[in-house]
Amino acid sequence: MPLVRNPTPTVEPRAPDERKPVQVLASGSDEERWIAARSAAETPEGLSLLTHALAVERVPRVREAMFTALAKIATPESASVALPYLRSEDAALRTQALDALRAMPAVAAEHLSQLLDDSDPDVRLLACEIARALPTGDASRVLGELIEKETNSNVCSAAIEILAETGDVASLPILARCAARFPNDPFLTFAVKTASGRIGSSER
Amino acid sequence: MTDPPQMTEDEFRRLAEFLYRRTGMVFTESKRYYVERRVWERIDATSSLSFSVYFAHLRSEVRDEVEQLINAFTVNETYFYREDHQLACLTTDLLRERVATKRPGDPIRIWSAPCSTGEEPYSIAIWLLENWKDVDTYDIEIVGSDIDTCVLEAAAVGIFGKRALMRLSPEVIARYFHALDDERWQILDDLRQSVRFTRVNLIETKETRPQGRFDVIFCRNVLIYFDDESRRIAAENLYDNLLPGGFICLGHTESMSRISPLFEVCRYSEAIVYRRPEELRRAR
Repeated sequence: MPLVRNPTPTVEPRAPDERKPVQVLASGSDEERWIAARSAAETPEGLSLLTHALAVERVPRVREAMFTALAKIATPESASVALPYLRSEDAALRTQALDALRAMPAVAAEHLSQLLDDSDPDVRLLACEIARALPTGDASRVLGELIEKETNSNVCSAAIEILAETGDVASLPILARCAARFPNDPFLTFAVKTASGRIGSSER
Repeated sequence: MTDPPQMTEDEFRRLAEFLYRRTGMVFTESKRYYVERRVWERIDATSSLSFSVYFAHLRSEVRDEVEQLINAFTVNETYFYREDHQLACLTTDLLRERVATKRPGDPIRIWSAPCSTGEEPYSIAIWLLENWKDVDTYDIEIVGSDIDTCVLEAAAVGIFGKRALMRLSPEVIARYFHALDDERWQILDDLRQSVRFTRVNLIETKETRPQGRFDVIFCRNVLIYFDDESRRIAAENLYDNLLPGGFICLGHTESMSRISPLFEVCRYSEAIVYRRPEELRRAR
């Protein structure tokens, strides 16, 4: 009955790579760069290495490991490295940057007001997702303030979707005023109605 | 049983931070009752006079108390053939794809992490013996891992009660267990020796890497306890522990797509699973 006749030998630790991490990240194979990126957070020069390597890296899984390393470092500086990628033309890269910021919510929150004031509506829209990780009351306040002044209906819709989860009765007039500002946007009207109904039922 | 004394907000916060740093598990206010129950069990067991005395004891790492507390926090209740649609998928689809490039006698490695008291890795072994015609063609190695050393000891002994066996037919129980008494059954020695148990924390790369690479990983109902950062680290560790083209099965409420873009979604008739892509040669 035994299923195993020749158990796989225990995996030996890898031989240490004699090259400097900066060399590996610059010219190693995909697998070598992946390994170097995964351990970058543990090295003193990790943030500097990641900053430069991320700018030239094109392989998604290696980039993913770099963003995870930034999230592990979790300082305002490491969040600052991820932030510019929210403006990337590459949707996958934008998502990777956003996910990394969501994985370091406390430090990402320090950049939130600046992101919500950004001139690019796509950045403001992604910033709503960072607000989702705030404590409920803070998220409702920040998103409410955004909705009150936001001129782009897509950004409003993104904020309303989150407010539907975090909001309370104080959010209802904000939603009503938003719907009134965009009377010709059927999706936003629908989003406001849904969010108001959800908040109303949860408050009863 | 009476309700345990409540922890203060500050005590709860300090303990939650401590547990997060050690395990990656996140305990929010919604889990306060669950946390208090287990902490007060440990306060009682260590004869500590208060939470602060116990917390000092915990942080000084006396007599493996950190490990004892982690053991108390892990959810260990499970049973044989749980979510057996994934086991059906294993034999119908996943192994068929994995052996396409293997020769008779080649290894097939399957990892159950976390494995709790062994129900899952033993279920995999029994399912293969009962349902896979090629079971004798390959060397099948099953490894069960958990962060909780107490459950690993229990898994290695392989004694189970009625509740754990409720989904097994009497014929299967008769084939793979022997009765110790009216309430307990033990896995047969041959089968016990087919499963190797190791202690692993899924967010510690230095602990996951030595396990080697697997054809299939069952990692069910644990990632939901992690925060975003720990989930990302665990996903990357699991990716490293899969052979290219290897599969990972999560719990039915979990989605790897929400955790990491590293894996491909594979939809089969019995289950949705995730695959480490085959490696491609590509330019940077």
